[in-house]
Amino acid sequence: MSGDLPLASRLLLREWRAGELRVMLLALLIAVTVSTAISFFTDRLQRGMVTRAAEFLGADMRLSSRDPWPDEVLQEAIKNNLQHTDIVDFSSITSSETEMLLSSIKAVGPGYPLRGEVRISDEPHGSERTATAIPEPGTVWVEARLLSQLDMQVGDLLEVGYAQLRVAAVLTHEPDRAGDFYSLTPRVLMNLGDLPATRVIQPGSRVRYRLLVSGEEADLQRLRSWLEPRLESHQRITSVADDNRQIGSALTRANQLLGLASIAAVVLAGVAVALSASRFAQRHFDTSALLRCLGASRTRTLRLFLLQLLGLGILATLLGLASGWLMQAGLVYLLRELLPPDLPGAGLRPLLVGAATGMVSLFGFALPPLLRLGRVSPLRVLRRELTPLPGSGWFIYGLALSALSLLMWQFTDNLPMTLAVITGGAIAALLLGILAWLLLRASGDRLRHLGLAWRLGSGQLLKHPAAAAGQVLAFGLILMAMVVIFVLRTELLDTWQAQLPDDAPNHFALNILPDQEQAFAQALGEIGATSAPLYPVTPGRLTSINGQPVRTQVTKDSPGERAINRDLSLTWASELAPDNELVTGHWWPDLPEAEGHRVSVEAELAGSLGIGVGDQLGFVIAGTTLEAEVSSIRSVNWDNFTPNFYMVFSPGALDGMPTTLLTSFHLPADQREGLRQLTRAFPAMTLLEVEAILAQLRDILRQVTIAVEYVLIFVLLAGFTVLFASLQSTLDTRLYEGALLRTLGARRQLLRQANRLEFTLLGTLAGLLAVLAAELVTWLLYRFALNLEWQPHYLLWLLVPGAGALLIGLAGALGTRAVVNQSPMGLLRRG
Amino acid sequence: MSESVITARHLSKVVNAPEARLTILDDVSLDISRGSSVAIVGASGSGKSTLLSLLAGLDLPSTGEVILAGRSLTGLDEDQRAALRAEQVGFVFQSFQLLDSLTALENVMLPLELDGRRDAANRARHLLGRVGLDHRLTHYPRQLSGGEQQRVAIARAFASDPAILFADEPTGNLDAATGARITDLLFELNREQGTTLVLVTHDERLAQRCASALHLDAGRLQENSA
Repeated sequence: MSGDLPLASRLLLREWRAGELRVMLLALLIAVTVSTAISFFTDRLQRGMVTRAAEFLGADMRLSSRDPWPDEVLQEAIKNNLQHTDIVDFSSITSSETEMLLSSIKAVGPGYPLRGEVRISDEPHGSERTATAIPEPGTVWVEARLLSQLDMQVGDLLEVGYAQLRVAAVLTHEPDRAGDFYSLTPRVLMNLGDLPATRVIQPGSRVRYRLLVSGEEADLQRLRSWLEPRLESHQRITSVADDNRQIGSALTRANQLLGLASIAAVVLAGVAVALSASRFAQRHFDTSALLRCLGASRTRTLRLFLLQLLGLGILATLLGLASGWLMQAGLVYLLRELLPPDLPGAGLRPLLVGAATGMVSLFGFALPPLLRLGRVSPLRVLRRELTPLPGSGWFIYGLALSALSLLMWQFTDNLPMTLAVITGGAIAALLLGILAWLLLRASGDRLRHLGLAWRLGSGQLLKHPAAAAGQVLAFGLILMAMVVIFVLRTELLDTWQAQLPDDAPNHFALNILPDQEQAFAQALGEIGATSAPLYPVTPGRLTSINGQPVRTQVTKDSPGERAINRDLSLTWASELAPDNELVTGHWWPDLPEAEGHRVSVEAELAGSLGIGVGDQLGFVIAGTTLEAEVSSIRSVNWDNFTPNFYMVFSPGALDGMPTTLLTSFHLPADQREGLRQLTRAFPAMTLLEVEAILAQLRDILRQVTIAVEYVLIFVLLAGFTVLFASLQSTLDTRLYEGALLRTLGARRQLLRQANRLEFTLLGTLAGLLAVLAAELVTWLLYRFALNLEWQPHYLLWLLVPGAGALLIGLAGALGTRAVVNQSPMGLLRRG
Repeated sequence: MSESVITARHLSKVVNAPEARLTILDDVSLDISRGSSVAIVGASGSGKSTLLSLLAGLDLPSTGEVILAGRSLTGLDEDQRAALRAEQVGFVFQSFQLLDSLTALENVMLPLELDGRRDAANRARHLLGRVGLDHRLTHYPRQLSGGEQQRVAIARAFASDPAILFADEPTGNLDAATGARITDLLFELNREQGTTLVLVTHDERLAQRCASALHLDAGRLQENSA
């Protein structure tokens, strides 16, 4: 074995010098370059997006607990090079000289926030500025509505427990407040150093101790892994993806889309590798026979080729990693205006992904054709017609399919989507292969009668219908990949855009008193805001399911736990909200009359708590107990920035409970003045701006769009390599036959025409198959992976076959120029 | 009688054709002694190349036995036969069988490299000089004429000092003058190296230069052979 390494290297070098390996190297290079570049780019982009999303958490990760975090946790964070700061959250009565108010107090340590910024102003509704530190000891920053409710000015003293703290500024923005719609009481931000002086934290007080940490992803992950097994039931780790539904789901979809696009590029490069490896193998049957004739054993012959393949793979991988890195650096440079300004550097993972892609495509796609080289009979030196049998179909396709699945899974990190694409692809390939074969047979027989050029052109395809069907399939696959990516880019982004229209609600208004309903609606109209309906809200806690305490029914890790550990916003409604859909059960009018109350439960929560239609839920609302029967399970679109609820009761169920009203509304940026009017008119109201989240979602969308467009370029590049590799793989026979025809007196014009006809026919059939397959794959993806509504794309049925004919016809004509240009004598002598 | 280096006993080769079983070789027995030169002659389709492939161990007979350099090929698997070829046998083919991606020098070096010989390049250079191609070492096959390509092939065949050289229509692809020069070269080297030459041809003049000739007709050895 070791003795063969130098010989294999010499053979590889000689092959390279003779130009035998260029197409295969190019194909491998593209596979590795594309996957490395995309992996690098998405890695950096994602980390950039995550960093921005982290602003809504005020940190990269937040640890929450009912008790102070033990020192060892802090030490672990320090040990992992993480930045950290503490927050203590609690509710307390604050008072001015004359008034008292329940406030939501946040005592923060130096460094807060680790991500994002706090903004303050010197007077209510004055111009805001970014705070460069936390409140000085002895001072607080408070929300404007607290000043109005306590009848205070900036500079006055606010009593928090036993401490008297001077109001130094008006708090206008906290990064980690945006998504938290449940903080109903006005905020006071104080220095953590002043907390002991307030003496408000007593044993049994309801307090949340939060430790904010930030740093490198790997360090965070280490802390998380260390901490998770030690967590108690009241302790929780929150990171960006856990925290914010909208940003989290946008990031996930962005990843999926980029992953899919990269798969297409890699699949195509894989096909190119397979085709060029197959040509390499065919051109080396003689070499293999000769080596055997010269006394090399079957194993040794195969080993010599495999070592060459490995050498080529390593070379392509190294070059591909370098060019992939360069390509993403260029991409980041080109897009510098559109990308987040502080895009983090690239990690090592993309290099591993690139290298793995190279090796997986090499062995998944190139190995099966090369294994044929081990089966060449030495007798071929005397009888050239002896070609080795191709390997078992199961083995070849199984290997390629496994390689593909591995790569896809790696790129999408999404098993259902991978399975959808693979299953769709495999079924489509099988059916389309048969269809291509039938089409070829049917069209070929008719075309033969149209003249010599047609007979020659279709004759090329009909000579080996199975091989031609394979070629149609390969071209069809290229076109399909391009069509699928194009369709996804357009429709997926349109769907997301539609969820974020320009007039998506950018404010939430909470704590509107019921008797202000009319006045508030009118005030919104006056300031030019468009509003969602006003929902009555009462805070309440879910305490039992079918008489069993709810705490006994959920584990610490269940997503439902989050919902039962705090007050839920409960509402009632007579109509089902527009973005809600019934999963099971019926809405009120369709239910039989009954005595008790009824409730409709959000599907995810119902799933995690094991709640079904007919179950009895127990709630505690303002000290009283309420029983209701589950009459339906609803799915809710959490991404639409309108008020959404876990629990919606039947009309009348919450009568007599203390309720306030909640709504969301859109206020154009140039009419923000109206907000001041609104807060003055409704001083008890809490106003939350979600403009920042909206802006960020739009940013993510824009970046994803750009990234996908660039990935499309890679897909095209890979597609053309396949075309080229595929043409190359049949070039030898074409050259020979072309030479023969010219010797027999065929004019070059006739050969050109025949070539054009052949490839146009190939392109049209490939286009037809591509559009059929693309419809199938998008249907599967929409139905099973992306949860989108699918519609047929009629226009594509016209465009794609035409584009296929044009593209492949042109590429074929260019790629086979040599057939009409080379000297027939030279070619025949070598035949 | 000198020692026999190739012995065939009752060789026959039958293949399944679409319509019937086709007998290509029928009960062929022969002895070829060390250092001799033997021509296998016959018309196209008479089974010459098949006989060559069986004698060289490139294929297996349907029945019968071949003993090559003292070893029976019956019972040897393909890899064992390959090892025997590496040790004892050289080939020259009608279509030259040079590797397109290797230069003249590298083509001749190939069997030596497979054998792990360190002096491969020197020996190849020497042999190419011997066949008059020392000025064409770095040329690829496509840059050489047919005669030159066959000379490279002859140099390669002698590179590993084979005991037996099989030549399949070595002048079949060459014009008469070039063919004659190649024949001279082949016999000259054969004499110098003391190789046993087994030559398949339908060219009677080439056959006459061999010490003996075996005539094949429809797969059977004729009475007047040897």
